[in-house]
Amino acid sequence: MLLIHCPYCDETLPELEFTYGGEAHIARPENPADKTDDEWRDFLFIRTNVKGPHFERWRHAHGCGRFFNAVRDTVSDRFLTTYKAGEPRPDLAVLLEDAAKKEPSK
Amino acid sequence: MTAFRVPGRGRVLHNRPVSFTFDGDTYQGLEGDTVASALIANGVHLMGRSFKYHRPRGPIAAGSEEPNALIGTRRGKGRFEPNTRATVQEIWNGLETNSQNKYPSLKFDIGAINDRLYMLFSAGFYYKTFMWPRSFWDKVYEPFIRAAAGLGVSPTEPDPDNYASRYLHTDVLVVGAGPAGLAAARAAAEAGLRVTLVDENAEPGGTLLSEPQAKIDGKPAWDWLESEIDALIDLGVRIMTRTTAIGYYHQNMIGLCQKLTDHLEKPAASTPRERMWRVRAKQVILAQGALEKPLVFDGNDRPGVMLAGSAQTYLNRYGVRVGNNTVVVTSHDSAWYAAFDLASAGTRIEAIVDTRPAPNADLVKQAAARGITVFAGYTATGTSGRLRIKSVRINKVDNGRVMAAQTLACDSLLVCGGWTPSLHLFSHTKGTLKWDDQSQTFLPDRITEDCQIAGAGRGLWGIEAALNDGFAMGAAAVKALGKTANIKTLSVADDRPGSGTSHTELPTDLDAGKARAFVDYQNDVTAKDLRLAVREGMRSIEHVKRYTTNGMATDQGKMSNINGLNIAADALGKKQPEVGLTTFRPPYTPTTFGAFVGYHKGDHFEVTRKTPIDSWAEENRAVFEPVSLWRRAWYFPKDGEDMDAAVRRECRETRKSLGMFDASTLGKIEVVGPDAVEFMNRMYTNPWTKLAPGRTRYGLLLGDDGYIRDDGVIGRLSDDRFHITTTTGGAARVLNMMEDYLQTEWPDLKVWLTSTTEQWATIALNGPNARNLLAPFVEGLDISDEAFPHMSIAECSVAGFPARLFRVSFTGELGFEVNVPARHGRALWETLFAAGQKYDICPYGTETMHVLRAEKGFIIVGQDTDGTVTPYDAGAGWAVGKNKPDFVGMRALNRPDLTAEGRKQLVGLLTDDGVSKLEEGAQIVLDPNQPIPMKMVGHVTSSYHSDAAGRPIALALIEGGHGKTGETVYIPMPDRTIRATITGTVFYDPENARLKL
Amino acid sequence: MTAHIDLSKAGILAESSAVRVALLPPVARFSLRAATPEQKALSKALGITLPAKIGQCGRKGDIEIICLGPDEWTIIAPEDQAGMITDACAAIYAKTPHSLTEISDREVTVRITGPKASDLITIGCPRDLDQLPVGEARRTVFDGVTTVLWRDGDQDYRLDLWRSFAPHVIALLETGCGELAGE
Repeated sequence: MLLIHCPYCDETLPELEFTYGGEAHIARPENPADKTDDEWRDFLFIRTNVKGPHFERWRHAHGCGRFFNAVRDTVSDRFLTTYKAGEPRPDLAVLLEDAAKKEPSK
Repeated sequence: MTAFRVPGRGRVLHNRPVSFTFDGDTYQGLEGDTVASALIANGVHLMGRSFKYHRPRGPIAAGSEEPNALIGTRRGKGRFEPNTRATVQEIWNGLETNSQNKYPSLKFDIGAINDRLYMLFSAGFYYKTFMWPRSFWDKVYEPFIRAAAGLGVSPTEPDPDNYASRYLHTDVLVVGAGPAGLAAARAAAEAGLRVTLVDENAEPGGTLLSEPQAKIDGKPAWDWLESEIDALIDLGVRIMTRTTAIGYYHQNMIGLCQKLTDHLEKPAASTPRERMWRVRAKQVILAQGALEKPLVFDGNDRPGVMLAGSAQTYLNRYGVRVGNNTVVVTSHDSAWYAAFDLASAGTRIEAIVDTRPAPNADLVKQAAARGITVFAGYTATGTSGRLRIKSVRINKVDNGRVMAAQTLACDSLLVCGGWTPSLHLFSHTKGTLKWDDQSQTFLPDRITEDCQIAGAGRGLWGIEAALNDGFAMGAAAVKALGKTANIKTLSVADDRPGSGTSHTELPTDLDAGKARAFVDYQNDVTAKDLRLAVREGMRSIEHVKRYTTNGMATDQGKMSNINGLNIAADALGKKQPEVGLTTFRPPYTPTTFGAFVGYHKGDHFEVTRKTPIDSWAEENRAVFEPVSLWRRAWYFPKDGEDMDAAVRRECRETRKSLGMFDASTLGKIEVVGPDAVEFMNRMYTNPWTKLAPGRTRYGLLLGDDGYIRDDGVIGRLSDDRFHITTTTGGAARVLNMMEDYLQTEWPDLKVWLTSTTEQWATIALNGPNARNLLAPFVEGLDISDEAFPHMSIAECSVAGFPARLFRVSFTGELGFEVNVPARHGRALWETLFAAGQKYDICPYGTETMHVLRAEKGFIIVGQDTDGTVTPYDAGAGWAVGKNKPDFVGMRALNRPDLTAEGRKQLVGLLTDDGVSKLEEGAQIVLDPNQPIPMKMVGHVTSSYHSDAAGRPIALALIEGGHGKTGETVYIPMPDRTIRATITGTVFYDPENARLKL
Repeated sequence: MTAHIDLSKAGILAESSAVRVALLPPVARFSLRAATPEQKALSKALGITLPAKIGQCGRKGDIEIICLGPDEWTIIAPEDQAGMITDACAAIYAKTPHSLTEISDREVTVRITGPKASDLITIGCPRDLDQLPVGEARRTVFDGVTTVLWRDGDQDYRLDLWRSFAPHVIALLETGCGELAGE
């Protein structure tokens, strides 16, 4: 069971309070009618499915109720960061550098 | 006093005898004994038969790593547990235990024939033996495998015990209360941290319990231990014994299984048998020590053969000598001390046989002083004795050549092949290991969690080394948590550090192919099996493991993994680190299902949601059905009625006069704010702008993929306030979906959502007399058809309770839904039920609700839709606001796939014979005479007997169904094929005349 | 299946030497939602400053306001003060858009007190209670059930539970109450 930092509550809390919400930064187009069938298909169904740092959404469902974004390494299951919905994508290189510093190995 | 008990020795209470039974015979032990120590004290080593060959076996260890001495334990009815380790189970007066894997008796076991046929059961025998003929699989092989498989006998009765669970947060969790763990806990506790110290044994101390000779800081080990534990308790350390850390999960979450009653004669009824602790620690210190390895040679499994360190534990902790005449075969110094301790206690040490040509000179001198014969540079090549070892065969090894044998008589044989750190939990974290050539074992390498490893777990031998490493690692944990710690050191006198060498199977002068040299005792895997696996092409250690089953038994290879690796590496011609270890997985030791289940059985199994009116339904003999987490009244049978009769009556009486239905489970969401109508327009397919306050509308909710997600009637209470209803099962999902759009796509909208599902109890009244019943109770509202037409909503008071009243119908009859604050639900229900007697009011359940709505062709989302149904497929295109700029799902409705010909569409079905009721889920074909597999064009989604239609009716999803009205389709069933005709979906009152009463 | 528990009768549900579990009488409860710019006006109208940090509580007289989310509060008040709250909010709605929705009957409240009250909470709540200061509250989870956990004292808690989930949680608390007394 993971520990997840809720950027709204500013607390690091048990995963049991959270639900997963799929890949992050897939905004619903402003004017769906303007989109081609292929574009709409991509919006609905096409996901990156990365091995490694993954931008994804979580909801603090049993807490403040907010959806927020996270970067989680899908190999190690480690969160690199979490941030509020609507905030820009964090710089992955910086996150990875920070994570390497925190590595417990000695 | 039993023959092998040493008076006054050990930590058992010599003045507290305990009697228990083993295989029906009564034995005396002492308080503090395990089953194994008590039986050994009685001279009993034979405790079980092995799994595959049914070889006689006794305990080889004294702790949880024991592979052989598995017993069944019983404590009255329902309390039987198989495969309990005799070395762990503490005795109490009246404990019943039994040996396993034997028939008819432990001493004479027919299954032992397998031992004579061992050549048939070599590595991979399953794959080789059960290949062909194919026809033998069902009738011969599978029954044979099933009969032979399995350890022990499963319990057959329900488990009457209770289990518990708890969460625990701690700054430092120390696993293992040996010298390293005790010291680590002390260091962390002195820094003011919250510390939890756990140990799987009945008392803390670890190695100290087996080495009372040591003097720590000038004090005898046990005195030091006692004062140390007192000090830890004073510092607030939570010490938990009989508590096994079974798994180490992400971010320092550790599962602990605490055994609370298995050691008690009369546990209190309120005490759970076991408790699962889910611990979150900021720092974990693994101080689990090391496990002793056996030596691999022919006959190394006979009862009486035991690890030397375990024999030392039996002597020093339990006051039990493992035999009268003992031979020691070792490749490590530690076994020498066991020999010396036993010699002091009165056991004759026939010889110490060391595989090393030049063992530690000091030890040799001590042996000589005790008059013990030493054979240095020898190998063991066999043992004799059927139910107990009688002798061991040893040979001098000279430059790799095995010389002539000699035989040493004995009643017990102590073996030691060195020690291997217990790194199971560390491996759960995906921490990596590195091979240490000097100690010939794996040591922890890359650490992935916030944890420290202390003591023998990282290859440090001896009490002083472990203790001081514990202090250091405790201090490291303190430092990692931002506090300061002084690193303490203590000196230990009479310590027993030592060294040794590691072996594959020992060299022999006999045919190695016939040697029964066991590596994995529990799965009966021999050195020969491992070499055979390599010869037959297994290269990866994971393949070798699966082919031979080495390390796959319930002990997870605690004793066999390193020996197995050494042999496999040798056979592969590689070094150990190039071959690598197999993966350790939780749980560390076998764990009961009960511990995992915790409270979740019986009344606590899972949440059962009940409405405020549920208790009335129960008192009035409702039959219930589960609907998502709710239980709902399904139907209300009268005397002599079955479900069918009850439902027909409920339908009939509702349409004839009046029915009442508990609709409280419907999801309800209050939508409030200046942008409420805009939000509704964006979420639902329907247009909402022109819906006036006081009016309601059927709303259809899609996903952005265009498929139906939910539906329900929605009322507009004021310009800025809507009352949404959702399906019972969809309530939470719908709110989650709406919050998602609101928070992440449209955060600019000034509108807020509140779940009010449980604020309201909802009573639906349906039937021609609905208004006649309700009107006298309503205050502040005229509910005549003119003033309060179909699809109205208003706030008023009903029977004195504040209410939200809907005029709405899910049955096709004149209908109202009365919402009152939940606490008043039952009172209102009873008031209406009493007043309704003059209209023959009929309480009805969910089944009647389903029939009545199906007669009107109203869909149930999730029954008549399946997540791939669009509004057009469902015949609900009328609910789609075509002039809206956008709503969730609108764009997708124009995707080519969703507008293509041949989509499955919802239609009605009437069976041609007028009496056959179709099965829900039955598949539909156009041509019943086509060859199998037939082309299926759809399936039945809803099917009921309809009293109103006078015949069975059904709804179905059929490819291109809307264009096939009047056509015949076929529903093949196991016994016959049913003909049916496609119709519209409304079977009753198509003009909706009955709504207008 | 969950045992039946009568939620209409306030009083002691379970009691042992370790802990007491009691159902509290009904109170008026409202869910208040508003964006940040409106909080000042709402605070003024209600006469209590809306706490801005999730988990913090504001109190005046018998009224308590807990911040549950960045735009979400629950107001707890004696039933006879419900009208005052709805009126105060309604009066400023036009200029101060917000959502005030009554949820008095949505929830019931269980109070847990006694020397092992914290231990009892740990049978179902995965939170570290040492991180929950007295006087604050958090929405969290108890055996899978959403709850608002109030810490009124070191060993004094309240659990707000949705009505239909309450019997499951209460039954677990009753079991735990006996278990803790036996330790």
